[in-house]
Amino acid sequence: MSLMVAVSACFMALSFALLTTLALRHAVLGRRDQHTADAERRMRPLAIGLMEDGDPVPDLSQADQRALATVMGRYSRKVSGGTSERIGGYFREGGGLAAELEGMRSRRAWRRAAAAYALGDMACPEVVPMLAAALEDRNDEVRAAAVRSLGRLRDPTVTETLVESLVAHRVPRGMAGAALLQLGSDAVPELRRIAAHEDAAVRQVAMTVLGLVGDSGDADVALVALRDPAADVRAAAARALARIGTGSAEPALREALGDPEHFVRAHAARALGAIGAYTAVPRLVEIARTDRFKPARAAAQAVAAIDPETLVAEAAGPDAGAHLHEAADLALI
Amino acid sequence: MSASGGDQPVILAADDDEDILQLVAFRLGRSGYRVLQAHDGEEALALATEHEPDLAVLDVGMPKLDGFEVVRRLRAQESTRAMPIIMLTARAQDTDVEEGFDAGANDYLRKPFSPQELKARVQAMLARR
Repeated sequence: MSLMVAVSACFMALSFALLTTLALRHAVLGRRDQHTADAERRMRPLAIGLMEDGDPVPDLSQADQRALATVMGRYSRKVSGGTSERIGGYFREGGGLAAELEGMRSRRAWRRAAAAYALGDMACPEVVPMLAAALEDRNDEVRAAAVRSLGRLRDPTVTETLVESLVAHRVPRGMAGAALLQLGSDAVPELRRIAAHEDAAVRQVAMTVLGLVGDSGDADVALVALRDPAADVRAAAARALARIGTGSAEPALREALGDPEHFVRAHAARALGAIGAYTAVPRLVEIARTDRFKPARAAAQAVAAIDPETLVAEAAGPDAGAHLHEAADLALI
Repeated sequence: MSASGGDQPVILAADDDEDILQLVAFRLGRSGYRVLQAHDGEEALALATEHEPDLAVLDVGMPKLDGFEVVRRLRAQESTRAMPIIMLTARAQDTDVEEGFDAGANDYLRKPFSPQELKARVQAMLARR
């Protein structure tokens, strides 16, 4: 009996100690985050003065130096021109760039990854070749940090290198896509090229990014991809056509309303709504009445975008269904 | 008439990103403008209606009301119908730029942007008034 009481007391004491430790840790971390946020807020005017007026850097505590570097790094993603060049100058002259270049030569992978990440926020274009070389690093975290930073630096000369690393699966697809997205229209020729790649995952990334950075001149690629054997690629193509498609995409998108995959049908319906495909309205109404949830809802919303009067009339019918009713209600608000 | 009152033209700057808002306010303030700051679309609309600034610099992606909607509402009000508006857009797509112009914006700058270029656009637009 006394043994059980002693064991229970031990467990209670342990639980109490654990809870106390967690509460203390939570409080300490919260306070540290608050201090960091306060320091960054205090450093913002100094950072702006450095970037815009070339003010000298005053003597700062180490914590404030770190906060200032963080704020400058954040601004490097948001500004261009002379302001960006002065951010680069701050990191070159303050030793931040040299420290991270040294980090890139470290034998420890985590240090190389941290350096590759930091170099993307220093607005120093001379690091691009080193980051491009880091796409071949044996460690996947280093490669991922390098592709992220190359996107941040927006140097169009690395487009092919980024695409090669995507195609070779050396970097996460999403991160490669995000980097290509940041290159904007400079990435379009390479995206058009890999839209026909043998790997469906590559074609999907190409179609997704092309839909965001391309224009109506790239709709031909999306129209081909709408017949791709991979459903994810067909869905990406339909999504792209919602942005870059014109009236000429209407027949292919109408055909895609009969796709075996419901998510492709949903994207096709949205695209028809986006391009204002008036002749597709009867088919969209039918889908809104009879299809599964997502394509039906997308079709009803497309009818609302194309022809609100028909929508209201159809919604008043006896077999309209929930999606036409919902779209009509929203259209009338 | 605008809120300038004295010789200082008044600019409305609206962005939910505090870094950008402070940078725009600093650059335009240094260039001799009085800058009203808004952190979301509703605040921007309220400040524009109350102060009738000489020009507005609006972010596209703002909470409560996006930049396009703020432009549409400003264009619908008699007192702010002719106010020059520059859109700041983080989006790379031309369709967003088109949407900005369709809503009634006069000019746009893509983020990442150059504060010096923004100042030059503001000066040029105010000089044309």
